[in-house]
Amino acid sequence: MTTGPGPTHRTPPTAQAGRAAPATIIFSPEQLAEVRRLQSLYPDKRGALLPVLHMAQDTFGHVSLEAETYVASLFALSPAHVHEVVTFYTLFFQQPKGRHVVAVCHNLSCHLAGAQRIIAHCKETLGIDVGETTADGRITLQAVECLCACEHAPMAQVDDRYELDLTPDKVGRLLAGLA
Amino acid sequence: MTEKILTRNFGRADSHTLAVYRETGGYKALDKAAAMQPAAIVEEVKKSNLRGLGGAGFPTGMKWSFIPRGHTGPVYLVVNADEGEPGTFKDRYLLERDPHALIEGMIITARAIRSALGFVYIRGEYVEPWRRFSTAVREAYEAGYLGRGFDIVVHRGAGAYICGEETGLISSLEGLKGWPKLKPPFPAIKGAFGAPTIVNNVETLAHVPHIVNRGAEWFASLGTKTQGGTRIYSVSGRVKRPGIYETSVGITLRQLIYDEAGGVAGNGRLKAVVPGGSSAALLSADEIDVTMDVDGLKNVDSMIGSAGVIVFDETVSIPDALVVVARFYAHESCGQCTPCRESTGWIYKMARRIAEGHGRKEDLDTILDVAKRGAGTTICAFYDGAVGPYISYIEKFRGEFEALIPRA
Amino acid sequence: MPRLTIDGKPIEVPAGTNIIEAARLLGIEVPHYCYHPGLSIAGQCRLCMVDLDNAPRPTIACNTQAADGMVVMTDTERVRETRRSIMEFHLINHPLDCPVCDQAGECWLQIYYMKHGLYDPRMVDDKVHKPKAVPLGPHVMLDAERCILCSRCVRFCDEITGTGELGIFHRGDHSEIGLFPGADLTNKYSGNVVDICPVGALTDRDFRFQVRVWYLDTARSICQGCARGCNIEVHTSRRRPHHAQGRRVARLKPRYHAEVNRWWICDEGRYGFAFVDDASRLTFPVRREGQAVHELLWDEAIPAVADALRRHQPDEIALLASPKMANEDLWAVRALAERLGTARVAFRVPPAAGGDQDDLLIRADKNPNTRGAELLGLDGDAAAIMADLRAGAIKCLWIFGHDVLHAAWPPAEAFEALTRAQTLIFSGTNASSVSALAHLVLPAAAWVEREGTVTNFEGRVQRFRRALDPLGAALPEHELIGRVLATLGAPVSATRAEHWFRALAAAVPAFAGMTYASIGDTGQMVSP
Repeated sequence: MTTGPGPTHRTPPTAQAGRAAPATIIFSPEQLAEVRRLQSLYPDKRGALLPVLHMAQDTFGHVSLEAETYVASLFALSPAHVHEVVTFYTLFFQQPKGRHVVAVCHNLSCHLAGAQRIIAHCKETLGIDVGETTADGRITLQAVECLCACEHAPMAQVDDRYELDLTPDKVGRLLAGLA
Repeated sequence: MTEKILTRNFGRADSHTLAVYRETGGYKALDKAAAMQPAAIVEEVKKSNLRGLGGAGFPTGMKWSFIPRGHTGPVYLVVNADEGEPGTFKDRYLLERDPHALIEGMIITARAIRSALGFVYIRGEYVEPWRRFSTAVREAYEAGYLGRGFDIVVHRGAGAYICGEETGLISSLEGLKGWPKLKPPFPAIKGAFGAPTIVNNVETLAHVPHIVNRGAEWFASLGTKTQGGTRIYSVSGRVKRPGIYETSVGITLRQLIYDEAGGVAGNGRLKAVVPGGSSAALLSADEIDVTMDVDGLKNVDSMIGSAGVIVFDETVSIPDALVVVARFYAHESCGQCTPCRESTGWIYKMARRIAEGHGRKEDLDTILDVAKRGAGTTICAFYDGAVGPYISYIEKFRGEFEALIPRA
Repeated sequence: MPRLTIDGKPIEVPAGTNIIEAARLLGIEVPHYCYHPGLSIAGQCRLCMVDLDNAPRPTIACNTQAADGMVVMTDTERVRETRRSIMEFHLINHPLDCPVCDQAGECWLQIYYMKHGLYDPRMVDDKVHKPKAVPLGPHVMLDAERCILCSRCVRFCDEITGTGELGIFHRGDHSEIGLFPGADLTNKYSGNVVDICPVGALTDRDFRFQVRVWYLDTARSICQGCARGCNIEVHTSRRRPHHAQGRRVARLKPRYHAEVNRWWICDEGRYGFAFVDDASRLTFPVRREGQAVHELLWDEAIPAVADALRRHQPDEIALLASPKMANEDLWAVRALAERLGTARVAFRVPPAAGGDQDDLLIRADKNPNTRGAELLGLDGDAAAIMADLRAGAIKCLWIFGHDVLHAAWPPAEAFEALTRAQTLIFSGTNASSVSALAHLVLPAAAWVEREGTVTNFEGRVQRFRRALDPLGAALPEHELIGRVLATLGAPVSATRAEHWFRALAAAVPAFAGMTYASIGDTGQMVSP
């Protein structure tokens, strides 16, 4: 049974989207200690798999097959079982992503509020299709299901932030401001 | 106008901090609960008619009472903060603006079900709510509310609507794909990590301190005969003032749209309403004189679900809306059981084909038949939730679909 | 023990029995895909719906345990409709190309469609496309489009072998089974995933496209690959010999035995039959004189063997039997030794390399009948025989099958011993470096070509049956020994394997009272 402070006692790691993957997929000693701490929070250490995969993505930029194998080894799991998890959830990137991820909601309320216009504007401005990354590696564009900020439709998630009440103009300025 | 309970502090500066929470009476229910036997807390919550506010509407006290008597091993309390039902955004507000209400509710609930460890499963996209809530948990540890017989682990999801289903959530918490689990066994018997587990929604537990403080009768009196209290309605779509509205669960949909949310935007004429998140069957404009509690919506063959209200004015294309909804269910089907895995994709293809003008006259009946045949055959309620819109959109607005189908 | 009623028939079953198994006991089949009695309950395919008296809608039988007083109906209109619906869901994205699918004829989609489906297809949209003809390893081929995601194969690798190579990746109708990219399905039991795959998603690379399954014949048998004695079926192809370039053994399949191998066999056993139709098979008796090789008829070979044996003193003759031989053969060897008056009989030749063993099925002893050979009194000192042969004390040696030049013994010494023999007789199925040195070579029938019994490491005597005719002139060893014995003047009444077994059962206390009938299909333990 786990006791003591939860994982919230550390500053949540911030996403470092677009960071180049280190040459070797390996956590630092501090990160390994964090892995062990996370594993100790759950009655079965496997419970920490999602948090550790988030950590891997933050550290290595995306969850490559190599990263899956590495994480599997930290949990004594078969790589196939980690691959099942990584391919199931939408927030894990299996391929390198842009430095910024722009995820425009196209579910019902945003649809009613013109999400398609927002997406079309992003595609046009960036010159890429949904699911693609700009050639300079700056932005990955996604169309996603409900992000539950429908009162501010149409909206998008840009990296960690929710960008609300979008208009084509506003989203244009937003994209321009992403370095 | 009903008294605001859950949202009473939302307007205050720094409402998410421990200081403000305490100033406004927060953590007072803990002392009272500490003097109550666990069974008495369960009894009080049963009497309050509090029902689950995540979607299923199951009586909360009764759910707690399913933990096997005499069980001596660990019991887990899991909070479902995997808000994802399209049209719903209330838990985001609770996590960001009053996280301590949830923590206090969890501590009391943990006492009621004899749990020493709680997990709060927050959807992965909710980064800011996760930070806010995590900070609140840290404050609660530092203030000694946590860490004395009850701990909280904050867990981030990774993007999957199905993890809002309670056993899908448990699978995900265990480090698996979010595949719902077969029932029996039910989570209260064998849940997270094999131990008896209670899964409750954020809003449900945020009510618990108030019920303890002010009594079950007070809470029950706020609502209808079969459901107590207030709840937070998320209202979006074509209304003048989209947002969250906390009212008695006895409010009607008409009142919610016109009195609270300022009426219909767009062309001003109401066409239809999604009353309880996208999985709830669509109501036509003449069906809005229903009370927004569990039974009120059941009476019109829909459901209150997560109380996410999406308003369609007359300019909204129902076939286009069905494409959006069908795409969502096809995208989010976990793939575990056959009827849902195979037919959500098929129905999406048919809906899209119809909306694009390539429908065949038999397609509408095929969708209806496939949906009805699949309903009730799956492991979890996801598919039944998809069937609600499939059937209601077509049956209530069939003419609009037929108009798109080319004549042979 | 709950008592319940299924389709009006009462039955009492052990607590914990699910409705599928309870119904099976009554001869009622509840159709299913994902359920497998050897694996955990997945409840994914949703086909095994039945009506329970008190339930508002059909319930899956696999996850419902029999309860006292339960009333189950497996054939109501509502259940039939539900099955038809579920069959349609299973087939929405399934390719309709049965004519080119290797599973045709033993595919549960075909079988259940005919029995429970028979709806008019109405899917006109594009099906989901997935990888096809993907080798998963040395033995298994995947067609992900044909997969119905029942997860049996995944659960097998998780729960039975514990190797976890397979997973279900992605979600929704894009879900697909597969390996971690770049990995191989190389566990020692991989072929079982083909057996438990109810459809054409996983096929056997060795078997696929050889012959249509409806041209196969089946014989119950026992795997001869190790001391476990897994129960198997031998599937042979004789009706369309041109379909597989004359290969007669099409495949081996596990046969359920609750205590020996349950539903499984290992790959080594499954694919261990290539020798049967190999070009190296010995198909006629041979006499070798110097460099000259003469093909013989049995009517020439048997007297030649008898003459050779008669030329030596009893203590100059040794018999090196084999634990790969059946009990019946070994008893004939013993009868021969008694007739010849020699005590120089042995069967243990240490293998060049130690065999692998695990906790599931595989035994380190790669011989099917070591225990039988021990019980039948043939456990002499083989190394001493070889030493005496090399020293010239033994002048005549009959080797049954062993390749003593590729054993743990120093090959040079073994070679020297064999070349010093005045008479070297070899009997066996295939040519080897030993047969190449023998003066008389006698072709033996392979185990699939004859009847017999073997005694596994636990002492279970099990029957294997004839699936094929012996190749060429090959004979079961008990028969060719019997003919030699008769020529030597011994009163031999046994001709068939069963006669030899009757004789040994009458003589050896461990087998007392045992008959082919009492051994049956589940085997019989030897007396302690």
